[in-house]
Amino acid sequence: MNKKRAIILNTTIIFSFFLVSLRLTDLMIFNHTRLSERAKLQHVKVEDIQVRRGIIFDRRGRELALNLELESLYCDPENLNLDNDSMRRLASVMAKEPRVILSKIPAAGRFAWVERKLEPDTAEKVKRLNIKGLEFLTEAKRFYPKGELASHILGFVGVDNQALEGVELKYDRYIKTTGGKVFFERDASGKTLSSGVDIEAKGNNIVLTIDEGLQSIVEREIDKAIIKWRAAAASAIMMDPFTGEILALANRPAYDPNKGGSAGGSEKRNRAITDCYEPGSTFKIIIGVASLEEKIAKPDTLFDVSKGSIQVGGKTIRDVHKYGVLTFKEVIQKSSNVGSITIGMRLGKDRIYKYAKLLGVGKKTGIDLPGEVSGWIHPPERWSGTSLGAIPIGQEVAVTPLQMLRAYSAIANGGFLVRPHVVSEIISPNGQVLASLKDKEMKRIISARTAETFKDILKSVVEEGGTGKRASVDGNEVAGKTGTAQIIDPRTKRYSKEKFVSSFVGFVPADNPRLAIIVVIYEPKGQIYGGVVAAPVFRDIADQSLSYLDIPREDNPHHAPLLVSR
Amino acid sequence: MLRIDRRFIKNFDWVTLSIAIIIALIGIMTIYSATRPLETEEHPGFYIKQASWLILGIIALFAIVSFDYVWLSRLSLHLYITGIVLLITVFILGKTGMGAQRWLSLGPVSFQPSEFFKLIYIIMLSQQLSAINGPISTSIIFRIFFLIVFLPFILLIKQPDLGTSLVILTIFIFLILTKGLHKKVALLFVIISLISLPFLGNILWGGLKDYQKSRIVAFIDPEVDPAGIGYHLNQSKITVGSGKFFGKGYMHGTQGPFRFLPEKHTDFIFAVFAEEWGFLGSLLLLFLYLVLILRGLDTARKAKDDFGKLLALGITFMFLIYLFINVGMTLGLMPVVGIPLPFMSYGGTALLSNLLSIGVLINIRTRRFELFH
Repeated sequence: MNKKRAIILNTTIIFSFFLVSLRLTDLMIFNHTRLSERAKLQHVKVEDIQVRRGIIFDRRGRELALNLELESLYCDPENLNLDNDSMRRLASVMAKEPRVILSKIPAAGRFAWVERKLEPDTAEKVKRLNIKGLEFLTEAKRFYPKGELASHILGFVGVDNQALEGVELKYDRYIKTTGGKVFFERDASGKTLSSGVDIEAKGNNIVLTIDEGLQSIVEREIDKAIIKWRAAAASAIMMDPFTGEILALANRPAYDPNKGGSAGGSEKRNRAITDCYEPGSTFKIIIGVASLEEKIAKPDTLFDVSKGSIQVGGKTIRDVHKYGVLTFKEVIQKSSNVGSITIGMRLGKDRIYKYAKLLGVGKKTGIDLPGEVSGWIHPPERWSGTSLGAIPIGQEVAVTPLQMLRAYSAIANGGFLVRPHVVSEIISPNGQVLASLKDKEMKRIISARTAETFKDILKSVVEEGGTGKRASVDGNEVAGKTGTAQIIDPRTKRYSKEKFVSSFVGFVPADNPRLAIIVVIYEPKGQIYGGVVAAPVFRDIADQSLSYLDIPREDNPHHAPLLVSR
Repeated sequence: MLRIDRRFIKNFDWVTLSIAIIIALIGIMTIYSATRPLETEEHPGFYIKQASWLILGIIALFAIVSFDYVWLSRLSLHLYITGIVLLITVFILGKTGMGAQRWLSLGPVSFQPSEFFKLIYIIMLSQQLSAINGPISTSIIFRIFFLIVFLPFILLIKQPDLGTSLVILTIFIFLILTKGLHKKVALLFVIISLISLPFLGNILWGGLKDYQKSRIVAFIDPEVDPAGIGYHLNQSKITVGSGKFFGKGYMHGTQGPFRFLPEKHTDFIFAVFAEEWGFLGSLLLLFLYLVLILRGLDTARKAKDDFGKLLALGITFMFLIYLFINVGMTLGLMPVVGIPLPFMSYGGTALLSNLLSIGVLINIRTRRFELFH
């Protein structure tokens, strides 16, 4: 009996120990992750601060975005010794109302920012006040030394260096640092026991395809145009037609990225890629290329446009002048609407649509900037009775300036569709090239022969008798096309009689293209034609850029260089 | 009386002694880590005090082993009266610490008479029960309860020391069951308890202090107010759970030194140990306790007389109850009842009293072959 009882007792005890072990397993193995996470959370406080983003360089190594080391003021509310007198002095040094400062100091806790990124002299003055509980931490402030220049490419960052626009945003995961953290270890009473700042990590640097010199030229010239034509807005892009490297890209209005947060929506818009417009005559590249590829026309094929107007679906479309009989080449050169629509009718909806898509209409170009839109062209089955009278001449479609520039680059480079891009390399802080973003292969979209033929036609546009002769440059041949399009008034939903978009897109030197440029001026006043408003801007940009790049100025048989002493 | 002969040394219970001392040393080590300062301040001297008490305790232990425990039976009434007097003295003169009046000052040292009283009480109870032949009748139960158990129970409840008072009551029940009851009596008690349980519960709940009530609420639902009443329980679970399999390593625990875990070197020392030594370390520690307890039960079985048997059982039960309540509360299996973990928790009187109890156990085992004088 006694023995039996002893066995029961021992078994009960051992079993109880087993139960305790089970509970230990439950807490220490199965719930370990959750519980240790809670342990960590209550004694380590981590504040993320992004420090030293990568530097953004232009293609020649000039700094377009860098970091300034500024000091940020934070407080430790529990150690803060701020009486009325020192509060008053602090307020006067910081040029702020005492209640504004007070509102940033919580009643409890161990860490709160009072003011981020103070000017160096202000920081110095605050330090001299020697107030207990106020501490400084060095932070990096993003600085864009060129101000407005290339603002739509660079983008900007917020007060915590968080990327908000442009390359800063698109390449944020390469530019930003991951190691920027402040640690505060604290005990149960909230007392900080140790703190550490980890700012060793630096972000990767970015090399743009942009050339600061070309960017300045482009910006200066569109600024002039905006003033001259009292225009609402403008965009201009310069691209290497063979590689898709964007050399310059500018929009007006623009903003200073150093004050990016306070800029308005219109200033921040990167119209060159985020806004669509109806291109007008520059769109005639579609029917031009299509009819050459489909052998509908040769440059000398004749078209009778002597009526000066054409009826499509009950609507009459007119030419600016009456021309008589024009060759195919002259239809493009003089930008005859009647001729273009006639060609369009011979091509038919499906082939127009096919070639528009082939040349990149209605599809994003894939440029490495945020916010690009695709534009649109309706598929043939959705065309109305009047569409065939509108689409060949660049109405009823929506494109971005970049899409048009890319289509013309295909003529310049012999028939290839390039991928526009603004970043050429990502470089680690110690100088190692992490990624080179050049395209290895290009996609052929039209035959070299068609490209060559259409290039000759585009050259004639800039010659005597063409609509774009004001785009001609001394010393180099230019190939391009003018465009003038009506804008749909958002109120009436009809084409406005006063508001136009004037544009010129082309490349130079025509036979050895180095620069493809598009200039788009929105709502110019006084004059509306692309040949009058945009072509001279193209010329001024091209002229200075060719000089800047030291490109020989001697390939134009019609316009001999001015300094000829041979 | 002191006969250090070969037989004595051969029969001496070295196992129990070493386990008790090993656990005490682990305790001092853990106290050292739990109370370590995080900044440059001086290390609080808790571990030194505990080590001094350990040395004193070992000396006392050998003193107790040196004479036959039968003397304890003869002195039991004197001891008991002294114990009661001390408890009453505490009640009148005692110092208050942490919301309870438990301490008595003797010059520079303060001690808790209730810690010694447990041992005295077990001696008294064993003596009384061993004097009875055959199964116990209801009248005997009532007599012993009112003569021995009731007064200290009330005195301890009033301190308040809920933990110790419950231990005293439980040991009483345990020992009576061990001694053996008539089936009728047992049945009667079961029926009485079942009927009176709701009333008793109500009275008990009403008699509890607010902090005691909130501990029970917190046990039932620790998330009720994690920063308030559930705080102890939550922090204890977090601490234990942080340990994982191999622990964070000695001196690498954070919960204690960062002061998130309250009573880190006293009642919740098991949690600190578990955080640093992990699941494996905790199992080993529990195994040491298990061996100690099984050894105590074995000693009871081998005791030369009924008094020794009851005494060994009472002491072993006491350790068992303390261990399970303490570990249970640390692991969130029980409401928070402030009782220390034997040999581990900081507290000089408790360590001394526990080592004296171990001394008694060793005494009983070592003299198991000796005849009556």
